[in-house]
Amino acid sequence: MSFEFLNAFKFLKKQTLIHRLDPRVKLLFAIIYTINALMFTEIMPLLFIFFTLLPFILIGKLFKQWIKSIRSLSFLYVFIIIINTLFITNNGFSFSIAMIIRITIMISAFSLFFLTVDPNDLALSLISMKIPYEIAFSFSLAFRFVPTIAIEAQNIIDSQQSRGYEMQKKGIISQVRNLFPLLVPLIIGSIKRAFNVAEALESRAFGSKKERTFYFTINYTIIDWIITVILMILLLGFIFIRFDLLIVPEWFSWSLPV
Amino acid sequence: MGKNGAGKTTLIRTLNGLIRPLRGVIYINGENNATKTIAELSKFVGIIFQNPMHQLFSNTIEEEIIFSMKNLDMTKEQVQEKTDNILSKFNLERYRERSPFNLSGGEAKKLAIATIICRDPEIIVFDEPTLGQDAKEIEFFLELIQDELDQGKTIIMVTHNVEFTFENIPRTILMSDGHIIADGPTEKVLTNDLLVRKASLILPQIHQLKQGLRRIGIEVPNEIFREKDMIAFLNNYLKLKIVK
Repeated sequence: MSFEFLNAFKFLKKQTLIHRLDPRVKLLFAIIYTINALMFTEIMPLLFIFFTLLPFILIGKLFKQWIKSIRSLSFLYVFIIIINTLFITNNGFSFSIAMIIRITIMISAFSLFFLTVDPNDLALSLISMKIPYEIAFSFSLAFRFVPTIAIEAQNIIDSQQSRGYEMQKKGIISQVRNLFPLLVPLIIGSIKRAFNVAEALESRAFGSKKERTFYFTINYTIIDWIITVILMILLLGFIFIRFDLLIVPEWFSWSLPV
Repeated sequence: MGKNGAGKTTLIRTLNGLIRPLRGVIYINGENNATKTIAELSKFVGIIFQNPMHQLFSNTIEEEIIFSMKNLDMTKEQVQEKTDNILSKFNLERYRERSPFNLSGGEAKKLAIATIICRDPEIIVFDEPTLGQDAKEIEFFLELIQDELDQGKTIIMVTHNVEFTFENIPRTILMSDGHIIADGPTEKVLTNDLLVRKASLILPQIHQLKQGLRRIGIEVPNEIFREKDMIAFLNNYLKLKIVK
């Protein structure tokens, strides 16, 4: 078991246009691409959406990490293909390919968001949307702890395996029971850590003042507005296509014969 | 021993196959371990990791130990007997029915060691065993490893504790940046100024005292490495001086 796919969500500081964008734009980006992907179930429009997403990845110089995250999710793809082809009689394979593209778009959009947004800015952008600081802070804290918990999970697996624990077992019930040696230490460790974090925060006078000031600020620049407009146009365009308000060529609804 | 990030924990993880080497081969008891599963290797190599809370999950301490022996070919009676033995050996009998999460840090560590020792591995690997242990617990730990050594077991230990190593461990391997930079008798390795500095350690206090005494003209013999030898030597020295 590996937690490599979590690397897809780990922020790395880089100096590119995408990294400099306002976090709110990137959140909008992730949401709009998710909506776009969810609107279609055919291969062609999904592929088209996917190609509009690629430039962002290239501009952000994230190609390597993106490939890595996609590769580590390949087991999911195999799963989707098998299940859909088996259970959907009408064009099952074609549908499963479309679903793979759809999930790739959503993962790419969100991993672009998490790869390029500094967790500190994330809290800031939430506050600018009138969300209380406590909630915004706990939100960014949650993301900060994802890699920590992944490392801890790996440690737990290692220590249990060293005392003869076996990962694979036959039968669903024994498989679920088999999770206890991993989940119990993980959950208890997380709860304990939550208390520790709370104490550490309080000892640094968290929440002592109602009104907070910020060392860094975020603001919408011209480029941010341009990207926002582009995203809006894309969204509107795809909505028009979806509801047949825009005439599209025949090949747009093409699908694989199987 | 070695600085943080030198690769000590990574190295011990390769011993029972948790990490497989990209290059090279690992031999355990003369057999290549690449062809064996983690479960098979864990019968020979028992690793006790730093944080005991990573492996405790049962309702009672007794179950915790029984879980470790599940995959060994033992009858129920044998398992029960072994559990009783281990519990009394580790002075954990009175906690038998208690939850492992109510144990103190030192006792949890003891229990984690017990869950590995009960499997009777030939090679026992400790990751930072003295961390967060009080003097009494360290003493117990020393007795325990002596007992295991008497049974012919091999013990490997990762630690940052220079004094503990210098007093008790015969052989030391130093690591730095993923390489082994020294391997030899502890008295030689840990008194080498250059090596010790490269591994981000400090010279053992006894050795520093020896150097200091020599600087003021007291000739300390080379073979003094233990605290009690040093005390005996100094007592002797003072007595001689008074007689003169």
